[in-house]
Amino acid sequence: MDIFTQAEILLRDAQYETWTWTGSAGPVTCFENAALMGFVHVFDTADALLSGWKESQHVALARHSASLRGAGAKAWNVYSVFLSPDRDARRGREIERIEEDFSLTRKIARASIATPDDVEMTLLPLLSIRSKPQLGASNFETRLRTRLKDIPQDAVTAFLKDATPAEIARILGATS
Amino acid sequence: MRLDSIEVCGFRGFRELVRVNFGRGFTVITGRNGVGKSTLCDAVEFAITGTIGKYAVEKAAKETLSDYLWWRGENVPKAHYVTVSFIDDSGMPFAITRTRESGSDRSPQEIQAVLCRGLAPDDALRQLTRTSIIRDEWIAALSLDLSETERFDLVRSALGALEGSEAGSRAKEVVAAAEAAHSKDEAAYEAARARLADRLTQQSETQAALSRSGDVSAALQVIAAAVPDALTELSAGLATGRNALANGRARLGLMSEALQLGREIETAQAAYSGPDAVANREAASAALEVARRANEAAQQVVSEAEQRLLREEQMDAMAASLSLLVEHGERLGLHDDQCPLCAANRTSDEFAAGLVAARRRITSLASGVQTARDALASAKQNAQQPSLTLQTATAAVQVHADELRSLREQEAAHLDFYNQWGLDNHFIQDPGGLEQGISQERDRLIDLERALLVLEASQAVSRMSSIESNISALRTEIERLAQAVSQSQNAVTGAREIERSIRRVSAEIIDERLAQISPLLNELYQRLRPHADWRTIDYSIRGDVRRFLSLKVGDGLNPQFVFSSGQRRAAGLAFLLSVHLARAWTPLRSLLLDDPVQHIDDFRALHLVELLAALRLDGRQIVCAVEDPALADLLCRRLVSTSTEGGRRLDLDIGPLGATSVILDQEINPMPVGVLRGVATA
Repeated sequence: MDIFTQAEILLRDAQYETWTWTGSAGPVTCFENAALMGFVHVFDTADALLSGWKESQHVALARHSASLRGAGAKAWNVYSVFLSPDRDARRGREIERIEEDFSLTRKIARASIATPDDVEMTLLPLLSIRSKPQLGASNFETRLRTRLKDIPQDAVTAFLKDATPAEIARILGATS
Repeated sequence: MRLDSIEVCGFRGFRELVRVNFGRGFTVITGRNGVGKSTLCDAVEFAITGTIGKYAVEKAAKETLSDYLWWRGENVPKAHYVTVSFIDDSGMPFAITRTRESGSDRSPQEIQAVLCRGLAPDDALRQLTRTSIIRDEWIAALSLDLSETERFDLVRSALGALEGSEAGSRAKEVVAAAEAAHSKDEAAYEAARARLADRLTQQSETQAALSRSGDVSAALQVIAAAVPDALTELSAGLATGRNALANGRARLGLMSEALQLGREIETAQAAYSGPDAVANREAASAALEVARRANEAAQQVVSEAEQRLLREEQMDAMAASLSLLVEHGERLGLHDDQCPLCAANRTSDEFAAGLVAARRRITSLASGVQTARDALASAKQNAQQPSLTLQTATAAVQVHADELRSLREQEAAHLDFYNQWGLDNHFIQDPGGLEQGISQERDRLIDLERALLVLEASQAVSRMSSIESNISALRTEIERLAQAVSQSQNAVTGAREIERSIRRVSAEIIDERLAQISPLLNELYQRLRPHADWRTIDYSIRGDVRRFLSLKVGDGLNPQFVFSSGQRRAAGLAFLLSVHLARAWTPLRSLLLDDPVQHIDDFRALHLVELLAALRLDGRQIVCAVEDPALADLLCRRLVSTSTEGGRRLDLDIGPLGATSVILDQEINPMPVGVLRGVATA
């Protein structure tokens, strides 16, 4: 799985504009929508991420400094996303601690990115709500009829058609 | 449908009229503690429901929440009301105004018709505010701190009414109706069985009677003898015979009673006329005569003593008068040698001797009174005993007189009894003869009864065939009723099966819906990230009648007990927001949060802001009150403002007169786009 590609798919689905810019630290995916903008950096290893994230952030910000200066309040809404497929569990917690550094940009840092779900989970702070339960009709009547197959159907019909309780009881007795 | 504006005046801490226009996209409200941020949420809830549900205690020191709904500070507001306006997607407004004086201008049904749709839950408006306004006080209380049943109920309510939600209560009614019909059938069946048992008993008795049947003609003769004018028809003859038997028994009873009376009188007469009794009476009479004479003698002595005392008292009075006269004469003395009392010529010696003689005579006259009194007292004392003896003797004679009177009364009553019941008077003096008569009458009645039994037994043959026919009909009836009982039992079983199936299908539907919203709960939990290691939250449902919804993190751990307060609040927020988002029964897309970040660290507060931003991206209207201005700034930057769904920021403060006012009402404009590409447009 190509993390850059997967990230761009997700971001575009979420109405972000995305494009790639290649700087001295390698390719960077840039993204922006009505409220946010940011950069996605991918590192081969956890160590590379831990050692290189500050430099990568600096390079990206420097490259766009002119634009950011004119962005007003939106300049506060810059995200730096640092991702690595490396599954080094030892470094995972250390990498996530990067997120608690609030200087310059809001950071999302995660290792063990192996699947599209991992990318989506990581980029959740940038995306709209993904889970939208569709609570449609429950077909109560059909399910109840199926469940009551041993009960005379005319009794079930009378029950579902709001016959009086006494009448339903009579039908149940007469047809049993 | 979303909030458009709110206007409060004289409500809680708002004395002056304050109007807040909500941004269609979001509104961030900030201000110090107590400036009225929460009151704006209260006002929305109050307008919709007429109350404020955040207070666990509704009454204290005889005061209730209603005593604090309206301004209680200094000065009088111009009015007391709350108006909340909503606007739907087509721009159609809907406003609710509640005043202190006249309540709401909208009925709950009107409000529900606009703010709810489809299968709304019970108490829909309360559920609406409960799931639309997330308060600091409720974040833990309405999520992790709820009992598992309460949590289940909250989620079920948020899901709205289910299809067939009324079917459960209808099924209960059907069960009740089937059970009532079954009880009725069983009662009829049991009654028929009881009747059959009666008939079978009758059958046995009739068979026994048949076995006792004897000579009918002899029996008829006995009855004819007992009742000469009896009808010849058998059943009529039986009835007459029965009457005669009853009358005979009654007469026999009277005769026995007369015999009892006669025997008692005979005994009393014997006792009264006995030699001892006669001797006693004569002795009593003699003793009375002796006592009467002794008493008369004693009374004579008393009378004489009284007369003597009277005479002595008269002489004593005369002596007193003479004494006064003598004293007077002595004081006067001789006058010309004449006595002043009798005018006779006297010497001094003669006069003095006369005085002495007079005094001696006076003394003699007065001396007999005390003796006479003593004699009278002695006579009275002596008369007491004869008097008592006379009373005793008189009483003894009276007892005998009473005995005689009582005997005469008994005899009179005896005679009356005979006359009253028409008994033969010659038995009055002949109890032995009466006893013999009673014995003969009893024999006659026994013969009559036996004859009647024989005649009745002769009728049993025809009655037997009637009973057998009745038994046969009853057996058929019991068979039919047993069939009905069986059918009604089946109806009860069927009704219970319907009820059970409804419960199961409803539970399955709820479980499925919970399963459908489970990913949402998990996503919100993952976005808020309460815990570094436990990245997911699971729920489980237990119970059939009472349902339990428990939340688990990690390896089946209860977050209620393993999370810190901040983590619990973050997990609680995820739960409440998932409940909010799962509502399909309201068009209202406004989410109000009242200070949701207390006890939450900056990092998790940032996650919350990002989550709210995600909700904004989904078109939700966010109204969030926070205390921290920096957090308010962050919210204003992070929540998306567009040209059609803009944002607002309000800063509240308390004015110099103690009333809340809006000191900043700022529109948050959309941010420029195309910044990074260098083609920014505003």
